[in-house]
Amino acid sequence: MTSKVYVALRVKATPARAFAVFTGEIGAWWRPSNLFQTTPRAPGRLAFDDGRLIETLASGKVFEIGRVLAWEPPERLVFSWRQASFPPDLTTEVEVRFEAVGDETRVSVEHRGFHQVPADSAARHGFPDAALLARLAAYWQDQIAAVGARVELR
Amino acid sequence: MSAVCYRDPRAALTYLEAAFGFEISMLIEDDNGNVVHSEMRFGNAVVMIGHEWSEDHKSPLSIGGKNTQTVHIQIDTDVDAHCERARAAGFEIIVPPETQFYGDRTYRCRDPEGHIWTVAQPVIAVTREAAEASTGLKITGWV
Repeated sequence: MTSKVYVALRVKATPARAFAVFTGEIGAWWRPSNLFQTTPRAPGRLAFDDGRLIETLASGKVFEIGRVLAWEPPERLVFSWRQASFPPDLTTEVEVRFEAVGDETRVSVEHRGFHQVPADSAARHGFPDAALLARLAAYWQDQIAAVGARVELR
Repeated sequence: MSAVCYRDPRAALTYLEAAFGFEISMLIEDDNGNVVHSEMRFGNAVVMIGHEWSEDHKSPLSIGGKNTQTVHIQIDTDVDAHCERARAAGFEIIVPPETQFYGDRTYRCRDPEGHIWTVAQPVIAVTREAAEASTGLKITGWV
């Protein structure tokens, strides 16, 4: 089995708009974190591009965070997730769901497999599993909250 | 924020959603599928749903049904309908909805592990003077 970190929040938008903002405007709403650095460089700009989730750094270099595994607007999105500090053979998986609740949308993120980050990896910061996964949950809560703020801009 | 202990927190997540409309806002499972931590959201409120994680954290189910704290849910819509939803989800209705002297209509129920929940909806505006007159109590702090 694998570890799962699941978080969900409601945003004030339809699933279609929430999906569009999540995928199309990730460069605008994404909140980088020192705890979950995708690369050792200064944070770049994220984008879903041609079946990939990429980060374009200030230098122009492109880091591939993951590949899109399912693209099912407006309900579901799955992509793989790896940080530059992960061992080469390690990938984790992120599933995002958009569920209509009244006139709002419940956006949930499930990040699977993060416990596999090795004990000596810089990506773990020395945290035991429980602390690491709790931080990861808070990280994704911040991200969904940022989506929620973004959808209200229109 | 309250943290409520269950022998089976995963089941609690399901029946608290069915009974009260709480929504899971955080669920962390380890690589054996155990619930490590979970939170449910209701409006702007959050409650943590946990297991019996130490010798001093017990579900009422493990201590003869006793409660040492209870959680109070304040709602602004139909408390009678809320009660029927809880009943339909298998919760025991200890005291059915009744309107209290302070203007809230409340009911009390027990979930499958024995936690007591109180639910209240304000239905009548009552002044402090009126509440004191009807009860004979001296009331401080009523704005």
